[in-house]
Amino acid sequence: MTFFAFCGAIEQGLVYGLMALGVFITFRVLDFPDLTVDGSLPLGAAVSSVCITHGMNPWLSLLPAMTAGFFAGMITGILTTRLKILHLLASILTMTALYSINIRVMGAKPNVALLSSPTIFDPVRRLVASFGVSPWLTSSCLFLLFAIVVIALLIWLMRTEFGQALLATGDNPKMITALGVNTSVTIIIGVGLSNALVALSGALVAQNQGAAEVSMGVGTIVAGLASIVVGETLFGGRRISIRIVSVVLGSVVYRLAIALALSMDVFKPSDLNLITASLVVAALCMPLIKTYLLNRGIKR
Amino acid sequence: MLEASSLVKYFDRGTVNEVLALNGLDLKVEPGQFVCIIGSNGAGKTTLLRCISGSSPPDSGRTILNDSDITMWPEHKRAKLIGRVFQDPLAGTCASMTIEENMALANRRGRDRGFKAGVSRPEKEVFRSSLAKLGLGLEMRMTDQVGLLSGGQRQSLTLLMANLITPKLLLLDEHTASLDPKTAVLIMDLTCALVEEGRITTLMITHNMQQAINYGNRLIMMHHGRIILDFDEQDKKKLTVKDLLQHFYSVTAETNHLTDRLVLG
Repeated sequence: MTFFAFCGAIEQGLVYGLMALGVFITFRVLDFPDLTVDGSLPLGAAVSSVCITHGMNPWLSLLPAMTAGFFAGMITGILTTRLKILHLLASILTMTALYSINIRVMGAKPNVALLSSPTIFDPVRRLVASFGVSPWLTSSCLFLLFAIVVIALLIWLMRTEFGQALLATGDNPKMITALGVNTSVTIIIGVGLSNALVALSGALVAQNQGAAEVSMGVGTIVAGLASIVVGETLFGGRRISIRIVSVVLGSVVYRLAIALALSMDVFKPSDLNLITASLVVAALCMPLIKTYLLNRGIKR
Repeated sequence: MLEASSLVKYFDRGTVNEVLALNGLDLKVEPGQFVCIIGSNGAGKTTLLRCISGSSPPDSGRTILNDSDITMWPEHKRAKLIGRVFQDPLAGTCASMTIEENMALANRRGRDRGFKAGVSRPEKEVFRSSLAKLGLGLEMRMTDQVGLLSGGQRQSLTLLMANLITPKLLLLDEHTASLDPKTAVLIMDLTCALVEEGRITTLMITHNMQQAINYGNRLIMMHHGRIILDFDEQDKKKLTVKDLLQHFYSVTAETNHLTDRLVLG
């Protein structure tokens, strides 16, 4: 693997780590498999890019992007809790609708280019250069900062009264309802929060690569799950703080593994999805394989 | 205190599987009463408790609790007034969260949950001392996950949690049924202690006739969605299991006879 590919993997691992944290909130905390993310990632990218091309400050554009993601998640939550549609199906419906919405947001085009527009990376690039650090690491530095801030905020949130209610909603909804929590509200806000993070991730990706594109969300949920599962297998723990950190670490490891696989001659870039799916299957089967090997040991 | 009037509840109404679970049931409970509810399977005992707690609202009828008409209140709003313990010892706690986190969740029953600490420091001391009273050594394991506890320990914890904020009404749905006899006695003694301490109005479902006679100060028997027998404290003292079974068979035989005749006729 080249230094360039290595930097790229770290960078992607950190920025998509924010997305993985969003998926963690739904998939692990709320026990709610949410496919909305495949639509809310490009939604965040589209909203941020359009705001920037209309002259908004690139930092400020992250806010409407996250708000849009939050509302997208809320719709999935409302479809599930109020209209009683199965959660998986509800999220697929929102994702499908978002495809059209994303194109509308971008002005009836499938993409928006940011090549001549300012991004949040411009000032950082100058700052990093003045310290003599390789410009290839600019994005990584900024994404690391984002990751640390979001991780800290999430750990704080999970320890608040609301966060505890969120955790209980995923663990035992019957019990937490009997303790006076309206689980419809916690689910709607939780899924909203998750998609706000995914949209933030999308907005940062768009600013980094210089374009928002309607199809950039394909496979988001699988990459998110892969990061979570890889993180849990390698760094997992019981404490919520460790679990949150391990999601981002898992995301980085996952991107490095992908980069490593793609650097081999046998694989082509189009094999990415196959490699990802295989990786997730392998990680998910790990406990089963472990038990099988242990039991074999007992028999002999 | 609690006044349920003309509660009607159907399951699968309008289908061949239609069941009338509550048939215009009326129940009035005075403050401080500890009511034991007995009856055969399908009598409507659990349905009654679910109607009162709001987890399965009745088709018609009114429910008044603590001078508020709670008929239209959703389940989570009723939780302000009602503490509950379920039959399944795993149902009342969160397995993946710690003992102190579970207790903190219960300590905020019916309150708004904002961005204050999920478990506060002064709170922990309160939890520690109330856990110590159980005598199970749980006060030393407050940061252990609840999933590591046994069924009996979890049910003790659930009972304690239901009473952390003294409820206006305590609903116990066969809460000792899935425990071993020794633990069941422990839980019943703890129940009595907590109910007496807080003078809590309580409804307890049980299939154990002896338990129904020994505990509480009122006993009602349900059958086919109605209350068919109601013993106050005086009458209850004289009851024996034999009497109760006799009552039970005479009433159920009557109705079976009726249905047989209907079928044959």
